[in-house]
Order: sequence, then structure tokens, then C-alpha cells
Amino acid sequence: MLRLEDLSVRFGGLTAVNTVSLSVGSHEVVGLVGPNGAGKTTLFNAVSGLVKPSSGRILFDSVDMLRTPLHRRARMGIGRTFQVPQPMHELTVRENLIVAQRFGTGAVDARKIDEVLDFTDLTDKAERHAATELALTELKALEVAKALATNPKLLMLDEVLAGLETNGKRRFMGMLKELHEKFAVGILIIEHDIETISNLCHRVAVLNFGELIADGTPDEVFRDPEVMKSYTGASDA
Amino acid sequence: MYVSKTGLAVIAAAYIAVPLVLGSNNYVMSLIVASMIIGGIALAWALLGNLGGMVSFGHSAFFGVGAYVSALLTMKTGMPVFAAMLLGGVGAVVASLVMLPVLRLKGPYFALAILAYAHIFKIIATEWSSVTGGSAGLASVPRFPELMGFDLSGKIGSYLIILTVLLAFVAAYRAIRASHYGIALRAMHDSEDATRVVGVNSTLLKALMLFVSAFMTGVVGAFNVHYINFLEPDYAFSGLWVTLPIVAAIFGGYRTILGPLVGAVTVYLVDQLIFKSLIPSGHQLVLGALLVAMIIFSPGGLMPLLRKDSRRKHAAA
Ligand SMILES: Nc1ncnc2c1ncn2[C@@H]1O[C@H](COP(=O)(O)OP(=O)(O)O)[C@@H](O)[C@H]1O
Ligand SMILES: [Mg+2]
Repeated sequence: MLRLEDLSVRFGGLTAVNTVSLSVGSHEVVGLVGPNGAGKTTLFNAVSGLVKPSSGRILFDSVDMLRTPLHRRARMGIGRTFQVPQPMHELTVRENLIVAQRFGTGAVDARKIDEVLDFTDLTDKAERHAATELALTELKALEVAKALATNPKLLMLDEVLAGLETNGKRRFMGMLKELHEKFAVGILIIEHDIETISNLCHRVAVLNFGELIADGTPDEVFRDPEVMKSYTGASDA
Repeated sequence: MYVSKTGLAVIAAAYIAVPLVLGSNNYVMSLIVASMIIGGIALAWALLGNLGGMVSFGHSAFFGVGAYVSALLTMKTGMPVFAAMLLGGVGAVVASLVMLPVLRLKGPYFALAILAYAHIFKIIATEWSSVTGGSAGLASVPRFPELMGFDLSGKIGSYLIILTVLLAFVAAYRAIRASHYGIALRAMHDSEDATRVVGVNSTLLKALMLFVSAFMTGVVGAFNVHYINFLEPDYAFSGLWVTLPIVAAIFGGYRTILGPLVGAVTVYLVDQLIFKSLIPSGHQLVLGALLVAMIIFSPGGLMPLLRKDSRRKHAAA
């Protein structure tokens, strides 16, 4: 479904993503790991269209994304969350979802919105002001809910579990697992915790200084000494 | 569309009480009509600012183009005045098309670029004299017609026309703001990336707001030309057609729909009836000072101030 071919993103002299080739199948759950600054978020930004790749290709369902305007990518089925939650300011939770659904799918279906609210545990907060009245867990849930409201085929989750306390994290994990089945999406998830990744993902890709240094099953990848070196190096820092 | 009881009362008063009470005073009626012309531009300007997030110094271009298109259509093709006024609005939309490239600019760059465009139209109106009459301008532009025996070209008739135009603008603004486009536009203010990744074409939405704003301003320009019956480039494209509305909109509250209208009527009438007689030259200085005071004490403008006050009264009651 998603295929990156030799993708590079440069910011001036800095190569944030360096000739990365990676694919995500239509029902796959793929983890994307690597130390801070490895280029994970930048890779998401390139796929969703917020940054322009310097070279390489991004194919989604065989369509060249570099020729597809940003706003049309949501319609094609690319959904994402932001590492730092970005609720749409000035809007209520429900209005956030209405905008996402109306523009991400072309139609409004109130029942589907209620379903997404219910699924993400936001029904009680539906009429709250999204930017000022939500706790962190709820903001993260809203990130997922906005993406779901666009009816995605691919869901890119940027550290949705980071910063949650143990209970919240467990609930959120349950939701992600269920979501994969219920909404029939492929998932690309950025996450630091090895246990979480092993638990959720069919495959893991590892980025280090913008380069893909491993791509395989969690078992294979987390046994690789080079991966573990980049990993421990990062968590010590 | 929902209209509150107070709203209905104000509308009824505007249609009936104002002509009955003030209709015989030509001077006051002409001040009121002038303030409503400023109010119409102010509303259109504020729509672009509030929904589109753009600060324009170029609205005099839309005003002037609307005036010229409507005047020329009625004079050269004999088109009825009201039809020509609508096409004046369309003409302003066409003029705004050439401004589309500047939509990608941000903040002061957008404001300056659109100001430059406004100047281009003035030059065209001056130089293309075979059509526009050049700097000498156009005289005897057709007046408003008679309607069922009632002469609309008089002060009262003109007042009723601009009143109707403004009400239509308010209704359109409300409908847009409540629509899905309106919600998405509100979201774009502070969260443009988040809004774009869910599929909102932010450039298109901003362009649509520019078109709506240009259309409204063009219609007001067209109204004005049939009201005063002459036109020349310096007048039609004068910077006052944008500075006064900006003052009015900010004074009244540019994030509200009625604020720019209330601001325009208040500012213009107070200036002309009070300050001008107290300080014949330099009375605009007082306006400037008032605006500064408003921005300091109530950044949201007059409307939030009024509303806060009425809420306090309700609470006390
Ligand atoms: N818009 C940008 N402009 C300049 N540099 C950026 C930009 N976005 C990210 N970077 C840089 O690119 C590198 C990768 O960042 P990022 O993709 O956020 O890493 P990660 O998500 O893996 O922690 C970092 O060095 C970061 O400072
Ligand atoms: Mg990141």
C-alpha cells in the first residue's frame, strides 16, 4: 500500500531522511523506531505532504504522492497523528471530527462520528473545546479520532503512547489493537518502547541518523546488536 | 435562518422608524448612507480577516472595479442598474483573481502585495481613457430606478437599497460561518497543518473568502456610483475606501459579523456630527485616539464590550 523508494529529505546541510526504502502492506502493523532526531517524524511529514522530499519516491496504492497535493492525500486514505497533539483550535471535539470527515471523505455521516467518538472514549467530551479542555490522554485520543474520521487505509501514529501513565497506556494499546481489526487499516507507528512494539507490530523498521539500519520481525530486529547499540545509546542520552 | 427578537426589532426600526423620523433631514440621511457604505466594505474586509485570516489594504481596488464595471455596463449597454450592480461584484471577483498568487504570502507581505495590486487598477482606470473616460471620469452615471411609483434614487430610496444589501451580506456571512467551510476556516487560524492533513484545501478556502469579500465590496462600490452618479479614478480607488472600513471594523470588532457595521455607523456619525463641529480640521485625530483606546481596553472591539455589558445586566436582573 505505502512504498518509499530511496526517499531523502534534506534541511539545508542536514539529511534528516537518507535514501530510505520501506513499505507497509494494507493490513500490516509496522513499527518505526530509532533515537530522537533519527528522522521518524520527518518521514511522516514527507508522506503526509508537509515537507518536500529532496529525492526518491513515495507511492501510495501505486500513485505517486509527489504529484498529489497535500489535501488530496487524506482522501486517498493517508491518515496521521502528530507527536505533539494538534487539535484544531477554536473547535469542539465534535467539530474537529466533522471537519476531518467532511474534507477527508467528502461527506458527513453523523453516525460514523458518534462511532469514532465512542471508540476513542471521547463521547463525554464531544462538545468540549478541543484545544483548552482536554487532558493529554484525551488529546492523543483526539489525534487518533481525527485520523479515523477521514476513513484512512493507512494510519501513521507518531508517539501516541509517549507520556501516558501506565493505565492510560494499557487502555490506549487495547484501543490500537482493536482499531486495526475494526477499521481495517494498515498502521505505521513510531514508538520507543520495545515491549509495546513487539506486542503490536508484525514488522519493525529502525532509523538511525536518517538511515534505515534494520527492517524485519521484532524478534530479528531487537536481537541485532547494531540496533540495540543505537537504542541504548539513545536512551542513555 | 434564526433571527432573534432584538434582531427583528432592529431590522423593523431600520426599515420603518429611520425613514419616518429622519427621512426629511437630507443631511443626516446622507451621513447615514455614507456610513453604511463604509459599513458594507468593513463587513467584507472583516469577513476576509476573520474567516480567511488575511489583512487586506487592497479593498479599494474591489470598490473601484465594482463601481466602474457597473457604471460602464449601465451607460454603454443600457443594462438595468440592479443587474449591473451584481455584475460589478462579479467584476471585483475577476479583479481578485489576479491577486490569487499573493495568497501564498504571509502577514505583511500579503498586505503590501495586495496594496500594490490596488494601485494597478487605478492606473488602468486612468490610462484606458477610451473606455473609462480617463482622469476626467464618467459623468451622469444612471440613477436608481423607480419601483412601483417610488423613486429609489432619493435619499430614502438609496438608504433602503443599501440597507437591503447589508442585510443580505449579514445573512450570507452567517451562512458561510456556520457551514463546514466556515468551521474549517476557523480551524485553519491556529492549526493550519493539522487542518490540511485531514484534507482541507486551505488555499482554495482562502481564495473563496477572497472572492466573497471582493464581490461584496464590488457591489458596495457599484451602489455608491449609482448613488452619487459620477466617477473618477482618484475617487473610485481612494485609499479611504479601505482605511475607514479598517478603522470601523477594528473599532466594532472584526471577529464579529455585526461589529464592522456598528463600528462604521458609530465611528462615521460621531466623527461627522460631533468631532467635526468641535474640531473642524484634524478631527480624524480623535478617531485615531479612540481606536487606540479601544484596542487597549477592549481588543475584541465594541461588540464584545456591548455584549459583556448586556450579560452583566441580565445577571443582575
Ligand atoms: N522543518 C525542519 N527544518 C529543519 N530541520 C528539521 C525540520 N524538521 C526536523 N528537522 C531536523 O531533522 C532531524 C530529524 O528530526 P525528526 O524527524 O523530528 O526526528 P525524530 O522524529 O526521529 O525524533 C532533526 O535533526 C531535526 O532537528
Ligand atoms: Mg519525532
